[in-house]
Formats: sequence, C-alpha cells, structure tokens
Amino acid sequence: MRQHSLKIGVSGVRGIVGESLTPELIVSFAQAFATYLGSGDVLVGRDTRPSGPMVREGVVAGLLSSGCRPVDLGICPTPSVLIRTAHSDAVGAICITASHNPARWNALKFAGPGGLFLDAHEAFALLDIYHQGEFARCPNAEMAVPDRMDDAVAFHIEKVLQFLDTEVIRERSFKVVVDCCNAAASVAAPDLLKRLGAHVTGCYCEFSDLFPREPEPVPDNVAALRETVVNENAVVGFALDPDGDRLELVDETGTPVSEEYTLVLVADHLLRKKVGTVVTNVSTTRAVDEVAARYGAAVVRTKVGEINVTRALMQRKGVLGGEGNGGIIIPDVHPCRDALVGMGVVLELMATTGMPLSQLVANLPRYAMYKMKIACSPSGALRALGELKQRYAERPVSTVDGLTISWDESWTNVRPSNTEPIIRVVAEARTRDEAQQLAARIASEIEALIRSSSP
Amino acid sequence: MRPLKIGISGVRGIVGETLTPELVVSFACAFATNVESGTILIARDTRASGRMLSAAVRSALLSCGCRVVDLGVCPTPVLQFETGRSAAAGAIAITASHNRAEWNALKFINADGVALSFEEAEEVLDIYHQRDFVRAPWDKLGTLEDAHGVEERYLDALVDFLDQPAIAAASLRVVVDTCNGATCTIVRHLMDRLGVEAVLINDQPNGLFPHDPEPTPANMEQVASVMVPLKADVGFVLTSDGDRVAVVAETGDALSEEYTLLVVADHTLSRKAGTVVTNLSTTAALEDIAGNYGGRVVRARVGQGHVVRKSLEENAVLAGEGSGGVALCDFQPAFDALATMGMVLEMLAKRDKRVSEIVASFPRYTMIKQKIPCPPEISYAVVEEVVSGFEPEALDVTDGVRYADADGWVHVRSSATEPLIRIIAESRTAEKAQDLADKARRMALGAMRPYQA
Repeated sequence: MRQHSLKIGVSGVRGIVGESLTPELIVSFAQAFATYLGSGDVLVGRDTRPSGPMVREGVVAGLLSSGCRPVDLGICPTPSVLIRTAHSDAVGAICITASHNPARWNALKFAGPGGLFLDAHEAFALLDIYHQGEFARCPNAEMAVPDRMDDAVAFHIEKVLQFLDTEVIRERSFKVVVDCCNAAASVAAPDLLKRLGAHVTGCYCEFSDLFPREPEPVPDNVAALRETVVNENAVVGFALDPDGDRLELVDETGTPVSEEYTLVLVADHLLRKKVGTVVTNVSTTRAVDEVAARYGAAVVRTKVGEINVTRALMQRKGVLGGEGNGGIIIPDVHPCRDALVGMGVVLELMATTGMPLSQLVANLPRYAMYKMKIACSPSGALRALGELKQRYAERPVSTVDGLTISWDESWTNVRPSNTEPIIRVVAEARTRDEAQQLAARIASEIEALIRSSSP
Repeated sequence: MRPLKIGISGVRGIVGETLTPELVVSFACAFATNVESGTILIARDTRASGRMLSAAVRSALLSCGCRVVDLGVCPTPVLQFETGRSAAAGAIAITASHNRAEWNALKFINADGVALSFEEAEEVLDIYHQRDFVRAPWDKLGTLEDAHGVEERYLDALVDFLDQPAIAAASLRVVVDTCNGATCTIVRHLMDRLGVEAVLINDQPNGLFPHDPEPTPANMEQVASVMVPLKADVGFVLTSDGDRVAVVAETGDALSEEYTLLVVADHTLSRKAGTVVTNLSTTAALEDIAGNYGGRVVRARVGQGHVVRKSLEENAVLAGEGSGGVALCDFQPAFDALATMGMVLEMLAKRDKRVSEIVASFPRYTMIKQKIPCPPEISYAVVEEVVSGFEPEALDVTDGVRYADADGWVHVRSSATEPLIRIIAESRTAEKAQDLADKARRMALGAMRPYQA
C-alpha cells in the first residue's frame, strides 16, 4: 500500500518536513484557523525541532493575513501554552510540535479560547474552512502587530505549585533526575523541581534541535536516565516527551516503570486525598479501575485521543484524567496533559507516604500489556469487528472505540487505526505471557475473519 | 479587475485581495530555488502588511534551506548595497515603493545587488509556474538571523563617495519628507554625517502614509509649503522604500520627478563625462544636458531592471528614469534616493547656484503623462494596435510603441506594475505635446473598444 506522511484530522495537521509539511500548507492552515476564530490574539508555542522556526513563520504569516494577532511564546511546553491561553484574552493557540514523533515530523495543534484543544466538532468546522479555501483576508490598514509573551512557563509553574502540598515535598529535599529530551521542557521541568526543593540533575535538559534519544517516553528510550538515577543515587527519574505533555518514571533502582503506570500512581495518590471520577481511554490498563475501586471512585472510559478524555473529564467534573501513554490530566490545574503536574504529584506521593517509588509501584495492582498490529483495509476491519462482536456476545463488550472484550482478570481492545491501514490489538492480563496469548488468539481470529470475508 | 501583477519586477498586489501569503510563499520558494538555496537577505518598508509578508518569505526561504539574514525595516537601496558587498546569493525587498499603502510587493535582487534582469526574472517566473521548488529535508532547513551594522556600512561608503567636507562647509538646510517609510532613521543619520541641517517631515516609521508615497508634485505640498518659511535650500520627497526621490526648489516649487535625473546628470557629468542610460519615456532634455558635457544618452526599456542592466553593459556613469529613480553607477547600480540626495547636496555645495537657478538653465519641454485603466490581459494587444496611427518609419517598438519626430515624441506602453496603459508625450510646445498624447489616447481607447463589448 502507498505510504503517505501527511495527516490532516481532528488532532490538527501533521507531516514530515521536506516532504508533506510545506510552508504553503502551514500558511493555509493558519489562515483557516484565524478565519475560524474571527479575530483576536493567538498564542504560538513550539518545541525544539529544527523545523520549528520555519513552521512558526508560516503560522505568523497566516494568522496576520486572516486578521488575528500572533503572540509568540517561543520554545514552550504544550501545557504551558494551553494554560497561558486559558488565563489571557487570547482566543486560541497553536502548538507547533509533533509531540512524541521523531524529529523529522512536525505538526500544528489547535486550541480554542480557554486553552482547550479543538474537539471533533470544532475541528471539523476548521477543516471545512481549510478545504473550502475561502480565508478571511485582512487589509493592510487593519493588520495586527505581532507580539511576544515571556511568562508562560513561569505562569504554568505557579499553577502547578498552587495545586501541590509544596511544604511536605520541600521538607524531603529529594534527589531527582529529569530527562527532557533536550526539548521544550528543558527549562520548565528542572525549574519546577527546584521550586519543590529537589536537588535536580538534568539529563538532556539543554535546548537543542536534535533529539538525543527516541522522543517517546517509554522504558526502551530512557537508558541514559536510568544510568544517571543510579549514579546520582536519586530517588526518582522523570522522562518527558519533547513538548512536555507525557511522563514516564524510573524508580530509585534505575528500573523503568511502564508509562501505563504513571496514571495509576497519580490516581492512587489523588483519590486518597479526594474521591472523584477518573477518566481514561479504552486501551489504558485496568489497574486504574482497581485502584479507583479501592477508594470507591468511578472510572469512565472514552475513545482514544487526548481531547476525548479531556472533554469527558470536564463533563463529568472528574478529578483526574489520563492515558496509558503517560499523559496526566488534572483539571484543577488545567484540562490538558501535563508532565509537570505529573512530576509534582509523584513527589507529593513519595513525600506523604515516605515510601520509595519501587515500593509504591509494587503496591499497585499488577497487569501486563501486549500490543499487536494486523494489516487490514479500513472496510475489512469494520466487517471483522462486527463478526467478532457477535462471537463474544456473551462477554461484557464495549464499542466506545473499536471493540473491547472483558474477562475477570484480562481484556482486549481491537481498534482500526486512524492513521494507518491496520488493526491495533491490545491485550492485558496478570502476566505478560497471558497477555501475549490473549492478543495472539484474538489476532488469529481476526485474520481468519478477514480471510473468510475477502472474495 | 484583479489588482495583481506578476512580472519581471516581481509580484505586486493589494494585501487582503490578491497578494496572499500563499502566493508570497510560492514566489519566495521559486526565487530560493533559482539561487540554489544560498544566503538571502530580506528587508521591508514600514507597511503593516510587511510583517505578514516577511514572515511568509522567511518560512519559504527556511523551507528551501536558505540562510536568511533579516535586515528588518530597511530602504531597498541599502539592502541592495549590503547584498552587493556580501556573499549573499540574492535578496528580497518587501515593498510596493511608490504604490499606495494597501499595495505590497516582492522585489527580487541578484547576488550583485542589482534588480533582476529580464532573463533572470523569467527564470524565477518559470520555476514559479512549474512549482517544482527545492525542499530541504528536516535536518537541512535554513537558519534565521538578524543583520547588524548594515546602516553604518552603507553610510560609511556613501559619505566616502561624496565630497563630504564641501557639503558640510556649505551650511545647507534641507527639508525631507520620508513618508513615514523605511528611510526615516537613515536620512537623519545621513544628514548628520554630511553636516547638513535637516528638517524631517513624516519621519515616524509607522507605515501610516500621510499622502501617496509616489514622489510627484501632488504629494509634495507639505515640503513645498515650508521651504520659504524655513529658508531651506532644497527639499526632498522619498518613496516608502527610498528608491526614488523628487526635488523641491528653495522657492517652494515642487519640481516634477522628471527633474531629479536631470539635476543629478548635470552634476555627475560635470564630475566625470560619460554615458547616461535612461528609458524611452524620459525627457529629451537629458540629451541636451549630456551634450553640454560631451556625454551621451542610451535608452533602454522602462523599468529599473532594464535601465540598470543596460548601464552595466554600457559602463555608464549614471542611469535613471523620469520617475525619480536614479542610480549613481560608481556608487552602486541601484536606484538610490539617499545617494541621489547626496549628489544634489554636493552640487549645491560646489556651485554657487540655487536649485531654481539650476533648473531654469535646463531646456524647456512640456511633458504630458496619462493613464488609461486597462486589464493586463488585453493591455499588450491594445498597445500594439496604437502602432497603426503613426508613420511606421518613426516608430520604436523596443518597449510598447514610441513615436518621435523633430518636434516631439509620444510613448505608449503597458505598465509592468499596475493594470494601466501609460501614455507619455513631450514636445517643446504644450500644444504639440497635447496633440501627440491625444492621438495616442484615441488610438488606445479605440483598440480597447472591441474587448469591452
């Protein structure tokens, strides 16, 4: 099947620089967004990718041309951009980041007033404007003068500090290591930790346009952090993605904690302080449900995608949202994924309990996850999922996103990808072997269904 | 009629209507592709839309892998000087110069700091139309930096070119209208360095043009009205980017922009006899003045690109047009209002004569300029048909149609920058000039009629 790198959809526009993400496309999308907003200030932040300045200039041209005033926040974590937007007169924001994708990618992510990423309806309105190509055209006499804003990170840090019990954390003077992938949070994350009284060793905390490691914060990519935690006798290591919205932990022995467990740990602490609804997506670990059950809290499952979790969290007035990819959402700070508040809560948990991170993780329910991909056309995927649903009609099934089938101590989610002609199979069970067996079994059933239905 | 002109002078249109950021990105990519992604200097005048266009240009050039050096708000001749002296592969000036504030444009400049020749501009246009732009891979994108010391380097060179001690000794007082454009700051500094007392009008570089930025008598009233009360020796009115200038006499008489070239030619040729290049629409008085110094006049097609190119071929000392654009070739091959003002000041310092006296000594011609609005897609055909009204042996069709006889001449051509046909007629007598202009106008209107049915 032909490969293409451009993805225009609900979560914005993403592509490979030099191939599909061209200045023409960026200028057009920025104009469509300004046309969608009408007029007013639009905050613009970026991560450290080498294409950041090229993309920013295109965004500035497009916003000005269609009647908005761009306000440049410079290199800035995504949550800082969104929080600053919520607490300003800005009508929206554009985050220039391909988040955890490799450095050759870049993307525009669009947020409306209040610093919330566009939801599906809003995004479709924007896409309609883009596709129609009829953009507002600002005449010379009304053209805005671009502005800058330098306090987004400081503002973000203050919001996080207000949420935390800083006294109890500061008393411990924790020794910590933080790995920012030399990207957007390289100043913000160490600053926050220092404000929490920690002795901070930075690992990849210098702005650079080349990522020193694979940017996704998962156990395979944090070897340097693990080593530094051990060498420095630190009590915890934090790994962030390039735009500072996802978090993975390394314990005091240098052992990485799966990114699935960032949310579980945070839930364990926050629910102890205050019981409330937790919102996460259908393919996040069931350990969240078990921890919530300990405190009598409800868990709501949504479609995969940050904005789906965020919007459900706001509707349900939940206390915590998140995803298995290390994204933590605490609406008391701001309804967006935020690695900074995630770090703060983990330190508060350690300070309150006085227990080492390895012990805190050991006390959590134990699950293992296994993920597979099956090549399949989108229409074939739809047919296969329909038949699979009938086959497992006696089990608890959910069709919130794809198909989720549950057993007492295991579950699987089968979901056609939004971005590739594949079906994603995720299975979780008490052990990795069991999870792998379950995933393999479901995958072979799907493959048989695809074979039998193809002409 | 869509106000957009794409041609050898670059791309020009009204912001908010036709000059869109997409168009600007595409043209900047075409230019970068043509110069193979080297260093490119950029500058803009003070129009509000300049920031938007400048961002679009920067994005495009970065995507093509260019090192972009941004001069910010800077006169076009200063950009050209810096491009010529540096190792840059070219430059882009973001300015619509003499056009009203709602217009803007990209002007392309080659590695020598010279406006693109017809052939160079055609290449950029071909690449634009083919849309086969160079795309740097993600890790080979261009870099962005601000320029430093540009104004100082330029002023050092210009002050050195002029007889500064003579100018300073003359205790001159000037009035300059910089139209709130790109020259506001540098004009102040230039006059300080030359030891000239300067009164600046409209010297806030805010892009709010108090009058049309074209240096024609209609836009020179502010300067003209203060000349006598201030006892000023000379007044100047500049375009928004400082490429052209018109002169106001000490009497408060606003001189037609045609006179700028004549005044400077008189002085330049007195310094050094040589060739003067001008276009087919410029006054015949230039031949008379050149004749006084044993110089000669060579005529090229209309437009800085053509005139300056021809001056390089002819090794000329001076090139210019009746629009007030003058290039002092020994300083730099670019229309340069700053250098032009300097030469006029040097002339006043060295001759014991006032501006009005100098101008009075020039041969008298009457020139009539007319514009006929005409869509660009038919204007060339209309101009061709004007030919039929005149005796063929007296015609020059190098650039539109130019008829000349012993008493005068008329030149009919399609504007390269606006949807217009221009008619320019000149004669020793007003009646004859009017006759020539009227005849050309009738022919053009007649030729347009079938298209308007």
